[in-house]
Amino acid sequence: MLEEDAALSTLKAAESKGTLLLAEVRLEERSTRQLAVKMGQVNSSISTQDAGMNVRIVLPTGIGFASANGISRALGKSLVEKAFKQAKSARRKTVIELSAEPPIQTSWEVRQRKPLADQSSEDKVKLLDRIDRAVMKTKVKVQGRYYELKDYEIGSYFVNSEGTRIRSFLPRVTIESSNLVTSKGESEQSVRQWGASGGWENVEGWALDEALPAEVRMLKRQIDQGRKVKPGVLDLVCGPEVAGIAAHESCGHPMEADRIIGREMSQAGRSFVAPDMIGKRIGSRYATVIDDPTVPGSYGYYPYDQEGVKARPRYLYKEGLINEFLHNRETGSRLGVLSNGSSRSEHYLREPIVRMANTFVAPGDFEDDEMIGSIKEGVLMHSFTEWNIDDKRYNQKYVSREAYFIKDGELACPARRCVLEITTPGFWGAIDAVSKKIEFSAGECGKGDPLQSMAVFTGGPMVRLRSVKLK
Amino acid sequence: MKALREQAHELVEVARAAGADDVICEVIESGVHQVRFSNSEIDAVNCWNESHAVLFVALGKRTLVSDLRDLSRGRQMAKELVSNAAKAPEIKGYGGIGAGKFKYSTKKADKKIAQLREPSKFVLDAISGAESAGANNVGGTMCVRHRRTGVASSGGAFATDELASMDLSVRAFSQPEASGHSVCCASKLVDMKARETGVRAGDLSVKAKNPVLGEEGRFDIVVEPLFIGSLMHYTQNMLSAMWVDIGRSMYAKRLGKPVASKAVTLVDDPTMDSISRRAFDHEGVPTKRNVLIKNGTLKTYMHNTSTAKRFKARSTSNAGPLIPTLFTLMGQPVAFHPVVEKGDWSSDEIVSDTKNGLYLNNTWYTRFQSYAAGDFSTIPRDAILRIKDGEIVGAVKNIRISDNMMNFWKSVDALSKSTEEVYWWDEASPPSTLPLLRASSMNVTRSS
Repeated sequence: MLEEDAALSTLKAAESKGTLLLAEVRLEERSTRQLAVKMGQVNSSISTQDAGMNVRIVLPTGIGFASANGISRALGKSLVEKAFKQAKSARRKTVIELSAEPPIQTSWEVRQRKPLADQSSEDKVKLLDRIDRAVMKTKVKVQGRYYELKDYEIGSYFVNSEGTRIRSFLPRVTIESSNLVTSKGESEQSVRQWGASGGWENVEGWALDEALPAEVRMLKRQIDQGRKVKPGVLDLVCGPEVAGIAAHESCGHPMEADRIIGREMSQAGRSFVAPDMIGKRIGSRYATVIDDPTVPGSYGYYPYDQEGVKARPRYLYKEGLINEFLHNRETGSRLGVLSNGSSRSEHYLREPIVRMANTFVAPGDFEDDEMIGSIKEGVLMHSFTEWNIDDKRYNQKYVSREAYFIKDGELACPARRCVLEITTPGFWGAIDAVSKKIEFSAGECGKGDPLQSMAVFTGGPMVRLRSVKLK
Repeated sequence: MKALREQAHELVEVARAAGADDVICEVIESGVHQVRFSNSEIDAVNCWNESHAVLFVALGKRTLVSDLRDLSRGRQMAKELVSNAAKAPEIKGYGGIGAGKFKYSTKKADKKIAQLREPSKFVLDAISGAESAGANNVGGTMCVRHRRTGVASSGGAFATDELASMDLSVRAFSQPEASGHSVCCASKLVDMKARETGVRAGDLSVKAKNPVLGEEGRFDIVVEPLFIGSLMHYTQNMLSAMWVDIGRSMYAKRLGKPVASKAVTLVDDPTMDSISRRAFDHEGVPTKRNVLIKNGTLKTYMHNTSTAKRFKARSTSNAGPLIPTLFTLMGQPVAFHPVVEKGDWSSDEIVSDTKNGLYLNNTWYTRFQSYAAGDFSTIPRDAILRIKDGEIVGAVKNIRISDNMMNFWKSVDALSKSTEEVYWWDEASPPSTLPLLRASSMNVTRSS
């Protein structure tokens, strides 16, 4: 149990510094276990216990953040001295204000039916070995096989100078896979990730000893039977994985308010979205994108953010209109609204910044087969491999990992490495149908300096885009 | 300093006494002071301090690594780690750790940097420099870093290393879509040229004014060190034996074969003065200058002891972090300081010799559709300048380089005679020393 005393005495030391806009103290402890299997053999095994604390002091003229591994009253006091001195050194002319948020006193935890800590490394090796054997059994030539399992529990105690006291416990587990399939002298790759907040029961639910053999068989079919798309204008159905990455990259990121006001300008970049664009059209009426940290069991789950603000679903694009930015208390105040609970940090060593959680296209009312059945000539891009987007989040590219031609409403042969290179309004404006069934993928989102890797879900149903240029 | 290696040695002895066959221990003390700025003002001043030990133990082929974050319990945790390692899975491919009578270089850290706690002055100089060159909005990061490490191992490693460094990144805007980016890396305080870095970013932002939509097609690209630094992130990963082993490398089965133009020689040199200088790798083996690609021919992959055994090669002293970082895999050999050797052109000569080209200041978001083949795309950012008949004639925007990484390196036909150390965020990373270079006839695409 984290020492409340160390947190409260550190907070008291911060409050003694005089008039502050805010002081925050976070104590954190985590246990992490990592295991990798490469080409059928265990490659590496790691087990780590960590504990540390941070202090963030907000003055009207600057923010100071100091962190260190270790937890004690003395360490807390020294962090206060550093954070206060640093906040003073900023000497901003543009005054910092924070949105007024109610103090929260609560504790929360994510329950585990099968606690991660109870799983032996032997059990984990058996699981990865079973996956590897199942992949090998397909007889597909898989020249590169790498599977990495990581699980961790984070216990945290957060207090601030406004009376917030939040204790939390968050277990997470994730598996990354990397496969290289070769056939007829050519190759295709698959790099995928699964993740959840919760216990080992999630890993069992993923059934990767079925999913990954199916994946390598699919890659072989792409090589053996796939044909290149003749560049031109076609209808396109994006599967949930592609809809999800588009939601994350060309909606979630440009709607981060810290980007919009320029805070990330020299790293992750700015945004094509300006503060006065709320209510402006960005897509068709079928384009609704939600970021929701409260999806139960999701990889990006949290009920309170790292400023102690209650989390809720944020409707970023709503029926094609720019609707709501992702805010922390600083950006909310700057743009005249409340925080919507988007402040996250990867680790106690890092400052909290505006982040996504679980970003997805809202489901519509079409059946999956209706999406394809209505297309005379087009492509189903089920999943992607290469992708990127510019730093204002306007020009993006998705290259298919799994795709099929559509002829007269029926799926035909595989379409190999189909390329969609499109603008953000081009993508969201071309949608004319969205299916009912939503699926999520786990990912790590990178932002901040130093880069903070954040657990997220991306997802959505199938979305249908009319008349887009494919290559 | 010596106390760190003594502490490492003590933990190695504890682990050995508890039954471990092989042990490596790195004791690390590090501190970073960071100033983040945007909109020409300081946003936040951060610092983080860590004091910990990374301990690797092997009992036969059963290995386990842990990051001991509470050093007051170090001895107890070392014993527990050995006990847990006995229950860890066997690693059939485990090839031991580096062993020998090692000699280490001893270079001193600049005390002036090590003692610096108030870097805001440099940030204000950079902002002022950029504005004086014509920028109206400036952002970036200044970091002051100080790291002290002691290492010991059952293979004979016993050493200390200290590095103090500063890195400044400045992105300047003169219009919402016109920006320039410049960086400065210094391992001596006197080499931190904050104002000049700001001026250069500001100057580029002015050159990038009024960009027009870029054309698709084939262009000769003249790329700055910052741009190459971003591509180097992936190039060096693919030269790691680990990436070759799992099928994520265009360099697989290419030892001794041409993989770049004859103008290209790529080395990893952790021994030179730089912000990523290291005296030893993460097995405690003394680092050395390794020629990876010589005159276009692939000479070696980067190895640790285990990958070297698997590839029937010798360790190149490139053992990577025992606890993987964000962009490294578990057990991955890594480059510490890639260097592309300089050519004999001046930067101006390269531009004036280019008929139909693009001058590219920076890039980001490099992603591969095939690591094995090298097919990739990357998105140039900041100043993208059009070159026609040897002259810069204006700025363009919204383009993407969609080509092949092997083809990029094979298409290099001019390298500048001056080089620059670059490091930016986690794009141009690890820190590297690079010239400006030209790659001919690269494929440029854009969104429709």
